[in-house]
Amino acid sequence: MDAATQSLRIALLGVPNCGKTALFNRLTGSRQKVANYAGVTVERREGERRARDGRGLRVLDLPGTYSLTPTTLDEAITRDVLLGRVAGESAPELVVCVVDAVHLAVGLRLALEVKRVGVPMVIALNRMDVARRRGVQIDPARLSAELGVAVLPTIAVKRGGADELIASIESPRWLEHRVVTAPGWQPPSAEDAEQTQSDLRGILASVGYVPAPENSWDKALDRVLLNPLGGLIVFALVMFFIFQAVFTWATPLMDGIEALFGSFGGWVNANMGDGPLRSLLVDGVIAGAGGVLVFLPQIIILFFFILVFEDSGYLPRAAYLLDRLMGWVGLSGRAFIPLLSSHACAIPGIMAARTIPNWRDRLTTIMVAPLMTCSARLPVYSLLISAFIPAREIGWFNLQGIVLFSLYAAGILSSFLVAFVLKLFAGARRYSPLMLELPDFQWPHAGNLVLGLWERVKIFVSRVGGIILALTIILWVLSTYPAPPPDATGPAIQYSFAGQLGAMLQTVFAPIGFNWQISIALVPGLAAREVAVSALGTVYAMSATGDDQIAAQLEPVIAQGWSLATACSLLAWYVFAPQCLSTLAVVKRETNSWRYPLIMAGYLFALAYLASFITYRAVGALT
Amino acid sequence: MLERGAVVRVAGLALDLSTGLTTEERDLLITRLRDLGFVAGARCEVLARMWLGGDPLVVRIGGSTFALRRAEAAAVTVQRLETHATAA
Repeated sequence: MDAATQSLRIALLGVPNCGKTALFNRLTGSRQKVANYAGVTVERREGERRARDGRGLRVLDLPGTYSLTPTTLDEAITRDVLLGRVAGESAPELVVCVVDAVHLAVGLRLALEVKRVGVPMVIALNRMDVARRRGVQIDPARLSAELGVAVLPTIAVKRGGADELIASIESPRWLEHRVVTAPGWQPPSAEDAEQTQSDLRGILASVGYVPAPENSWDKALDRVLLNPLGGLIVFALVMFFIFQAVFTWATPLMDGIEALFGSFGGWVNANMGDGPLRSLLVDGVIAGAGGVLVFLPQIIILFFFILVFEDSGYLPRAAYLLDRLMGWVGLSGRAFIPLLSSHACAIPGIMAARTIPNWRDRLTTIMVAPLMTCSARLPVYSLLISAFIPAREIGWFNLQGIVLFSLYAAGILSSFLVAFVLKLFAGARRYSPLMLELPDFQWPHAGNLVLGLWERVKIFVSRVGGIILALTIILWVLSTYPAPPPDATGPAIQYSFAGQLGAMLQTVFAPIGFNWQISIALVPGLAAREVAVSALGTVYAMSATGDDQIAAQLEPVIAQGWSLATACSLLAWYVFAPQCLSTLAVVKRETNSWRYPLIMAGYLFALAYLASFITYRAVGALT
Repeated sequence: MLERGAVVRVAGLALDLSTGLTTEERDLLITRLRDLGFVAGARCEVLARMWLGGDPLVVRIGGSTFALRRAEAAAVTVQRLETHATAA
């Protein structure tokens, strides 16, 4: 094979926060592929680069690690890929070890350890601009002579800031020295580790390195942000702001998307002959796709803030503030972002749990994420609240608002309770260190933000959207077939599979006060919770189209037909609401197992039933 | 217990097993602390402590800043050098 035409496998390796991902973006642009390593849920990022001579370079962005002695799954993957021990993954032929010039010691120590593995390597001395500003004196040439490895200064966030590195990795000499065998490696003993440290001290001393003093801005900011009182106040304000942004800024966009899909459906309705195909297109495909895409504005706004926090260095500080509080119930401080995201929709929340390095912490977070009140529950809540709860003022507050707030609070409290129970069940918890680096504050980089957002949106629309769309179509089939007999008197859905299922379910749900109409509406609600409202409309044979009009027509009907106990029972049911198949599908994908989605569905169902049963009996006894 | 602003010199890394960790976990913890720069002779400053027994706490070492849980910080034996700020 002609060596010059083969693409060289390059791996980027470095400690967290060294600017590795920014450098990866600089090297590969938007030609990136995000997937998982085989069999595990560690994110695998690979990008393509075309060298000036036309050769392809395959660049792999390894998960950040401080050491080749791993404490998390991500770090273990980095070590194993480096050593060629991951199935289906060849060892890299060139390692670019990214070292943050501002925090030279910790990065250079890792570089020394990697050098010992014996893979061809160059060092990218990143953030040179910041280092220079802070008065850190580093002579790359001297460092290179001491290490016996090429050291190339880079500024990953600047256009052209990695040109020297690019020239080096594109050099054909790496192809001539291709490694054929996987490197041999022994885990370092305590003596080896001491030796590495003393080598490091020797090198740092001989290049005359003095660590940067803490930036005075950082110091002032940290005085407030890390202060228990000040930090928590700022944190609460920031969270409140995000909440507001997600729910108010997104509304016009969401209305726009809904209107767009509504008018598209109307257009198809008007221009197509009546028949099952039209119904499938309008009620299945268009309504299903619309139901997914309507959450896109919320997800973009939410992930924008998450990425800004990640990039600016605030995220680990918030995790520090919350570590103890969340540790009580068995969650990690890092779990707050996924749980916050779950208030928009549990799916991006469960995806955001990837930022939690410890598997058990991550699993607990995933398991409790659906307890957060997602925005799909709001239509159901608002219908029931406006039908049954009087808009009475209690002091400064409105009774309806108080009920809505309590439903949100019930979700959060029950998530803490479930996390605590999971902690008890899980037994002795494998030790997982916090040892969290608090990086320097920095302005988020617009280009990296856009790339990060684009990647999240792509994952949501393509993978998640596909699942949801498929489920919506299946449920459309279930609620359309078989067609009602010609002499039918009830609504069509009553004769369909979904209707028959609902009728069967009624025996199960009768003890918690659900009538057959509710039981049927719960079945299409499996696709997305808010569909339950329009399904109720179908069951009660409403003529109106559009959720708002249906709700307006439904309100008096159910206010008359249902008892208060039934309404409260349904509200309690929706706090736990296990019936979101899309969430379960995402849990299956993120955990690579059917076990956890099944456990999740089981416990949510049990909690929902229990809560509804208690609510139904209690309210029934009081009224 | 070290207050906020305390400046110390690291004397070494050691942890008895009374903390409930297994030998393996203890070794992992000590290896990681060493890799982060907690080695004998290093200068270390306590930047912040959380409420309720100061857990976790934030320290600055070798030009980097880390948040450590108390159980982790307990593995680092230190010698007091000076006190910058007044105790929090």
